[in-house]
Amino acid sequence: MTDCEKARSELEEYLHNELCAEDVADIRDHMAHCDDCESEHHVGVVMMEAVQRACKETAPEDLRAQVLAKLRAIQSTH
Amino acid sequence: MTVGSALLEAPAPEGALSWNPRPVYSVESPVMTTEKPDNRALFEEQAMPFIDQLYGAALRMTRNPADAQDLVQETFVKAFSAFDSFQQGTNLKAWLYRILTNTFINSYRKKQREPFQGTIDELEDWQMGGATSRTATASRSAEAEAIDHLPDSTVKDALQSIPEDFRLAVYFADVEGFSYQEIAEIMKTPVGTVMSRLHRGRRMLRELLGEYAQERGIGSVPANGSAS
Repeated sequence: MTDCEKARSELEEYLHNELCAEDVADIRDHMAHCDDCESEHHVGVVMMEAVQRACKETAPEDLRAQVLAKLRAIQSTH
Repeated sequence: MTVGSALLEAPAPEGALSWNPRPVYSVESPVMTTEKPDNRALFEEQAMPFIDQLYGAALRMTRNPADAQDLVQETFVKAFSAFDSFQQGTNLKAWLYRILTNTFINSYRKKQREPFQGTIDELEDWQMGGATSRTATASRSAEAEAIDHLPDSTVKDALQSIPEDFRLAVYFADVEGFSYQEIAEIMKTPVGTVMSRLHRGRRMLRELLGEYAQERGIGSVPANGSAS
């Protein structure tokens, strides 16, 4: 397996902090001088950030109030 | 020994109403009606801060706000009822997500038509490490740029359109930051399955985002995997 192949196969785990310290060091070393793998990683980061941004939600106030009311109701029947 | 405690320890006289060791208060004073009056306060303090995140996850699961709200409510009710079994000091967020996911699978998934359900993990794996690795660096940075400029609604649409198991794996890892092990526990699958769902889910998402970007004329990105 070439360095690039190894890096590519581990990029996703690297992105999700699932690699051990040694593998993290290897992949960082590799990306420091491989634009190709670095740009591939960059796409992964940008996509993750885009999904995080898009999925930010705030629960409706009604829901919050309903949940609290439910919890109180349950407790009072115990 | 005081008179008071002697009375408390005395067995209930025969024929008397059975003595209840728990303080029984009327509905008018609901604060003190259980054995552990602080239980609800503790639950509220610890679990309520997750309501936004749980609602977000519920939206990704049910794909509509009304069902998402019902699902979140049911999750909190179940979690509160089971709160005694939650071990303080362990991961409450993961525990809540487990309940959310279970509840979704048991009560909501049945209502929804998921054409891929059941065969999802047997789906053919398309071009592992194929097209993406051949894309040139330059076009990859254009791709990143395009993804970065897509509106949130487009990203949500793309996520909503990938099959549920993949969608949830991506959501749990990318949005919630759960570890693969935690996702495996939440989804009740082996870690290897989580990795494969995540990998395929992210690949599908990337292709869809590339297509959306192209349609909208954002960047000049050839959709990934268009070689297939």
